[in-house]
Amino acid sequence: MVMEDPEAPHHMLLIRNFMSQGLVHKQPLLYASPAKDPRGFLGTLPSPMFSKDEKSRDRDAEQEKGLRIAWQYKKYFGEQNSEFQRDGKSEYCNDFDLRKPLERHFYSGQQIDCISLQDSADLTTFQDCCSSFLSQTSRNDRNITCAGRIAIQSLGAPQCDFSDKECDMLSFIRSLKSTIRSSNAVAVITFPPSLVSPAFSKRLQHLADTLVSVKAIPDEDKELAKLLTGYQDMVGLLSVHKVARINTQVPTILEATTFSMKLQKRRSLILECLNQAPVDGSTGSSYASSGSCSGSSKTGSLDF
Amino acid sequence: MAERICRALRDGVLEGEHAPALTIKDSIQSPFGFLVFNHVLSQLSSFIVAQKSQSQGIVLVALSRGPLYYEELFKSKGNDVSSSNKWIRVLDCCTDPLGWRSKLMESGRIANLTLGTSTTASLYKNAKDLDKLLLAITELGKELVGDGKGRFAVAIDSVSEMLRHTSISSVAGLLSNLRSHDQVSCLFWLLHSDIHETKATAALEYISSMQASAEPRTRPVNGQRGNYEKLPFLEQNLRGGKIHVRFKRRNGRVRLMSEEFCIEQSGIKFTPISSEAEMMARSLVPKVQFNLQLSEKERNDREKVVLPFEHQGNGKTIQIYDGRKSLNEDKPEMQYTSAEKVQTVKDSGRGEIIYFRDSDDEMPDSDEDPDDDLDI
Repeated sequence: MVMEDPEAPHHMLLIRNFMSQGLVHKQPLLYASPAKDPRGFLGTLPSPMFSKDEKSRDRDAEQEKGLRIAWQYKKYFGEQNSEFQRDGKSEYCNDFDLRKPLERHFYSGQQIDCISLQDSADLTTFQDCCSSFLSQTSRNDRNITCAGRIAIQSLGAPQCDFSDKECDMLSFIRSLKSTIRSSNAVAVITFPPSLVSPAFSKRLQHLADTLVSVKAIPDEDKELAKLLTGYQDMVGLLSVHKVARINTQVPTILEATTFSMKLQKRRSLILECLNQAPVDGSTGSSYASSGSCSGSSKTGSLDF
Repeated sequence: MAERICRALRDGVLEGEHAPALTIKDSIQSPFGFLVFNHVLSQLSSFIVAQKSQSQGIVLVALSRGPLYYEELFKSKGNDVSSSNKWIRVLDCCTDPLGWRSKLMESGRIANLTLGTSTTASLYKNAKDLDKLLLAITELGKELVGDGKGRFAVAIDSVSEMLRHTSISSVAGLLSNLRSHDQVSCLFWLLHSDIHETKATAALEYISSMQASAEPRTRPVNGQRGNYEKLPFLEQNLRGGKIHVRFKRRNGRVRLMSEEFCIEQSGIKFTPISSEAEMMARSLVPKVQFNLQLSEKERNDREKVVLPFEHQGNGKTIQIYDGRKSLNEDKPEMQYTSAEKVQTVKDSGRGEIIYFRDSDDEMPDSDEDPDDDLDI
């Protein structure tokens, strides 16, 4: 689940990457939003950056033969490394070029369902759509190569008639979660916590397996520019609150929970760690990076 | 900054994106939202008449003030009213929003009133049905700009009036549909924030891309309860106030700006803020538990500290040995004498100095630790 910031559209960047990744992997996709014509959103999906990466990897292989062992170890440390193998065969995580729309051949022959949530009085029809979509990717058959993706944007947005029926939305999310558990699918749901009641927001946060929030940053803020290096390139902040712990009792302890969202060369979204300042006991964590040991040393990408 | 808002509305929308939407907010402490709305409306209309804007016309949904009021407004601002049917259409939801008047006229209870409506106004009697309202707005817009690629702006007199008749979700639906309509260039509306629930105000702010809120210049300090004591503040706040604007930029950052305004005979006038910029609460500023600043006393004390290598402990002056100048210069006090070393002669430069360095005699890696000679 992604908690939106009412003043910034960063959750759309995450949803776009999620959907594009699904289309690149040829996975069936279901997209729902409060817009009247959700199909229009498909035109804004970014294209993967393939060939350039492969070239750079080959060059690295030539230059860093001595460091080969180190590279192999690096693969195992840190959950943010993409599990890509040296010969470049299977990739779980691509970089996407936000300035280039996804090519047509990725759409052809793909199952893409787009549903508008604006005119429906309640969530029953949408729930049926989700159930029928998920029945295609159920785990009963041995084939696990095909996974489904569900992207729900702005659940609880004010345009929808059911946005004040919080109990209905909660029961929908619960039933969706239980159906997803028994199928080969993942769902990304964004909601605006500032527009729903605090109790509902808390319940949704507890229901989430992985919880992430995005935050806007003020523009031309001199104090922030002094505190954060790379402020000029930053578009927002992303905080990881919870990471999925399914079938395990070992918690994932992240090195950093706050990342800055930057657009590298205005093309691809990258997430960089921020160093956290000493924690103030009364108010919890706060963000800063001292001048000398600022972030920018580590780049990572969340697997989608 | 008010010009910035007007420029943003004038420039309109980029292809494939949602139209910019402005919320003008006010409250009882600073009830000047209308004047700001009128200012923005007249600025935009002058851009349209001069053909400097993306939109070629305005559709004004008049819910709290009738079309005649706006005719007077345009006349007073110097806009050409006679040609107004080329660039403005007024949807009159003020005269008879729920259709009661026409029902009474049909049943003969009241006489048939001919209101002096202008040619640009169309009567709308169904304020509860926002789907029909959307249709009416888009039809009026198409009348103005045609069916092609022309765009029009939409101004809603008061969303607060709309919320009297319908729910927030239908209003939010209407506004978001207008924003995503192919032919809408920009839209702006007025809202009285203190008469609605916070949820409704939050929902409208969520939908808009710019928010301008009119606030009082000063607020009475706690403890001044009586009206008599609050009078000076009230008086000052009735003559002007501050306007705070939040722009949601395309790259996801939020720009915050403020200006002062004062009410004059001719309308509203904006000036940059004269007093110190307000400190805005920032949740991102770190709270560090270490005091990294020095007080005056601490600074003076620090300057007085003599570092260990700078003194000999016996009150003599500081001399730092520079290894290159061993022959003619004074040997520094730091290399202290031992019984084995030859005493050097302090000479101002005449005569000979014969000098045998002790350390040359020593073999490397001898047992003696040369640092034993140091006296700190």
